[in-house]
Amino acid sequence: MTYSLREVSKAFGELQVLDRFSLEIPRGRVSAVLGPSGCGKTTLLNILSGLLPSDTGERVGLEEARFSYVFQEPRLIPSLSALRNVELVLRANLPHPERHERALHFLTAVGLQDAAHQKPGQLSGGMRQRAALARAFAFPSDLLLLDEPFQSVDLKTRIGLMDAFLALQAEDPRTVVFVTHEVKEALYLGDSVVVLSDRPARVLDRVELTLPREQRRYGSSELSGMEASLYRLILGA
Amino acid sequence: MRKWRSSGPAFAPAAAVALGTVVLLGIWAAASSFIHSEIVLPSPWRVALAVVELFPTSRFLAALQATFFRGLASFGISMAAGVAVGLACGLSATFAYTMAPTLTVTRATPVLAVILLALIWFPSGAVPVFAAVLMAFPVVVADVRQGVRSADPKLLEMAKLFRLRRRDQLKSIYAPAVAPHLVSASHSALGLCWKVVVAGEVLSQPVRALGTGMNRARIELETAEVFAWTFAGILLCAFTDLLFKLARRRRGVDVQPS
Repeated sequence: MTYSLREVSKAFGELQVLDRFSLEIPRGRVSAVLGPSGCGKTTLLNILSGLLPSDTGERVGLEEARFSYVFQEPRLIPSLSALRNVELVLRANLPHPERHERALHFLTAVGLQDAAHQKPGQLSGGMRQRAALARAFAFPSDLLLLDEPFQSVDLKTRIGLMDAFLALQAEDPRTVVFVTHEVKEALYLGDSVVVLSDRPARVLDRVELTLPREQRRYGSSELSGMEASLYRLILGA
Repeated sequence: MRKWRSSGPAFAPAAAVALGTVVLLGIWAAASSFIHSEIVLPSPWRVALAVVELFPTSRFLAALQATFFRGLASFGISMAAGVAVGLACGLSATFAYTMAPTLTVTRATPVLAVILLALIWFPSGAVPVFAAVLMAFPVVVADVRQGVRSADPKLLEMAKLFRLRRRDQLKSIYAPAVAPHLVSASHSALGLCWKVVVAGEVLSQPVRALGTGMNRARIELETAEVFAWTFAGILLCAFTDLLFKLARRRRGVDVQPS
């Protein structure tokens, strides 16, 4: 069973961002969508989630789906603590004691147990994004959408964040669409990598990644082989 | 461009204010001695004397109290109505368009026209309150609406995706956005209320009112007493300003990234 987009088109005025674009999203797996800047990755996520209506085409299996989203920025409520921010998205679903417990559980999973009562302004950029990850996993969603959420931090923090994501995904596997322009990130996190062309986006290739996670460390030789083949694909060489 | 800033020590602002006051009083005293008529322009000392004579009288205190409560009532009503309508206008464009004619008309109507009509419709004590509410209400609506619109669209998008309930959105996204506008709205509303209430009282002549005392003193050609009543009105306004200044100083504005 998969979610999918079929022949979806979207234009903003004269600008054709998606043109009869189709995508399969297998359940319980991480689909990394790798594409150049400005090729319409965010538009793709917004159409998936229903934030944007598409001009033509079909969303399959997505009508009733609930979405979690990790944005490029943390998008936490500044006046609320990290804990309250996570609890906030659970208010419609869970009574207080369970809500509190679930929020704290996911904050602990991303290593924020000691900072749970701090407001976003008191947290570092990496910690804020961890809280956003915790929020996305705490929310009982069918799909988890990641829009380049690891871009705004330095390499070491980024790897830490991605490891936090992998730990959460291992514990509570979600159907994930992870959009990025970074080959390394796509290889590090994806179960498969969908490579997109320039605008209007087309699927150039879909690569299944079978390499175990342990062997995907940054700088490992196995990864650099795959990296090289993806670079060739992107650059059309 | 660099702004001019005082490089002097901390007492400089206070000293400048004191200097400004002295200059103002000096011009007043000079003009008064040049005109040389207590009926046209009494001297500052004559007015100070009138203040000292007038303020302890029970007639004055009763008037001050009545005017104070009229101001407070009109402030309360215009805030309650203004916040409700302002929130609705900010959240619904349709409602904002529906309200637009009413708000434009109220904003454009001269204060005195409102007071004259209110004189026909209401008992004298209610006229100033009605006029003040009508004047302050659109100001509050505009400010609150602006606050609602200043809510972060990125947070609103987040709220939509995570299916936050309406009241949670109001509490955690809209309320913090509206709060600073609420402070400025109540500041201007209260200032406006004092002035319009006194103006309304001058025309509607309730038994106990600053405006009534002011007008009676004018009829009796007690110009110094007119000044004294006016001074009471100024004190009400200054009292408001002080209150808000203290409130603002107590809760420092903290800006945090989203």
